[in-house]
Amino acid sequence: MIAFKNVCKKFGDRTVLGGITFDVSEGEIMFILGTSGTGKSVLLKNLVGLLRPTSGEIWIDGQEVSGLSEEEYFPVRKKCGMVFQHPALFDSLTVFENVAFGLRKHLREWNEDQVEKRVHECLELVHLKTEVAAKYPGEISYGMQKRVSLARTVAVNPRILLFDEPTTGLDPVTTRAVNHLIFELSRELKTTSIVVSHDMSCALEIADRIIMLDQGQIIEQGDRERLKKSPVPLVREFLKEVLENDTAQKPS
Amino acid sequence: MIPLRSLLKEIGGTTLFVGEVIRTGIKNPCPFEDFTDQIWKVTTQSLPTTAVAGFFVGAIMTVQFALLTKAFGALGYLGGLSTSGTIREVGPLLIALLLSGKVGAFTSAELGTMQVTEQIDAIRCLGANPIQEIILPRYIGIVISSFFLLAAGLFMSVFGGIFMGYLFAGINPEEYVRHIPTMVTGYSILNGLFKSFVFAVVLASICTYKGYTTTGGARGVGRAVVATAVTTMVGIVVADWFTSFLSDAFLQIYLGERM
Repeated sequence: MIAFKNVCKKFGDRTVLGGITFDVSEGEIMFILGTSGTGKSVLLKNLVGLLRPTSGEIWIDGQEVSGLSEEEYFPVRKKCGMVFQHPALFDSLTVFENVAFGLRKHLREWNEDQVEKRVHECLELVHLKTEVAAKYPGEISYGMQKRVSLARTVAVNPRILLFDEPTTGLDPVTTRAVNHLIFELSRELKTTSIVVSHDMSCALEIADRIIMLDQGQIIEQGDRERLKKSPVPLVREFLKEVLENDTAQKPS
Repeated sequence: MIPLRSLLKEIGGTTLFVGEVIRTGIKNPCPFEDFTDQIWKVTTQSLPTTAVAGFFVGAIMTVQFALLTKAFGALGYLGGLSTSGTIREVGPLLIALLLSGKVGAFTSAELGTMQVTEQIDAIRCLGANPIQEIILPRYIGIVISSFFLLAAGLFMSVFGGIFMGYLFAGINPEEYVRHIPTMVTGYSILNGLFKSFVFAVVLASICTYKGYTTTGGARGVGRAVVATAVTTMVGIVVADWFTSFLSDAFLQIYLGERM
């Protein structure tokens, strides 16, 4: 469904992605892990056309998209929903209007009753009460803003969900809740999901496949079991923290 | 060489950006309510400041002309001279500079914050065009409302002139107003309005471009606001010279006289 073929991205002389090749099948949850500044977010932004690769090809649903113009990209983006690192909610609009934004753009034939129904459905899907709908983003907590962002993304029924560090800045309880939400949404809506994160425990819990990036290169990829047994030092480093937490949680 | 190169880059970037805004406006205009919302927002935010500034610009000009006309025993022409100078030159310039600080800085900060918090990326990801959604209504809104605000400011400057003419030079309002039509012709008013329109376009182009191209978090927004304030002021002064030159050339070619 999604394929990166030798994708390279440079900013001036700095190479951020150095020839990335991988594919994601329909319905799969793919985690992309790595330390900060390894090009994880750049990779997602290349997929939705917010950035363009310096070289290489990106395929979505059998269409090569890296050479498309901004206008030609609009229909491609309709297939994708992206949840940003920041909630990226529109400050001047209420929660309701934020969630309705994409619906009003994509589904112009819908009347206001249909839009309202869908907005409330989406807010329920992310476990938010409908009273939140009338509030402005500045009036709700950061965790709630992240959920609203998720609701806004899923409202238009995208077939591909992209998450850019969805749990950054959240407390452990909300982090767990958001992770479960990603899993629920991916399974319930039958979407293909790519999650950029540095949360190995979450990846081991919900990912179908995991890619480990380091300095713009894939240094390991495979399913959860393969990652757990990987000899790659950076993967071991990521696993160490998870294993230590597991040990700490076991009763003596 | 580097400042010249960056100046050319900025001018080129702004020109391409404005071209994109115009192209979007022709091909995919945004809903009419978006324009009226912006016009209403900008006008109501800045009308009191512009009116007060306009009043005092007129008052300042009257004081300056009163000193000169008194020396030449031509105090009777105070109303005409002061109003002509204000409407044709000083009024549009000073009020536009004031608006660049208020409307320009606000718009640049608003768009810059939207850019660094990924709100503009979110619009693109939701399959919408940010130029159509957020830039076009603001651009048109700023041009139209700034033009009206400038016109309102110029109108108020006449009252400032009347007030100060009475207070400072003892000219009664009737006498002050009586000489205005002898020096302020339709062409003077058109000239002032033309300048106001050009300044509004300069202001809208620079502040939307600077805000839209902001990078680098909160510091980037700060830099964009400062750059907007400086660039719009310089841009307005340069545009003032250019429009003065144009209107003089127009007069010489078509009317065969200088006014």
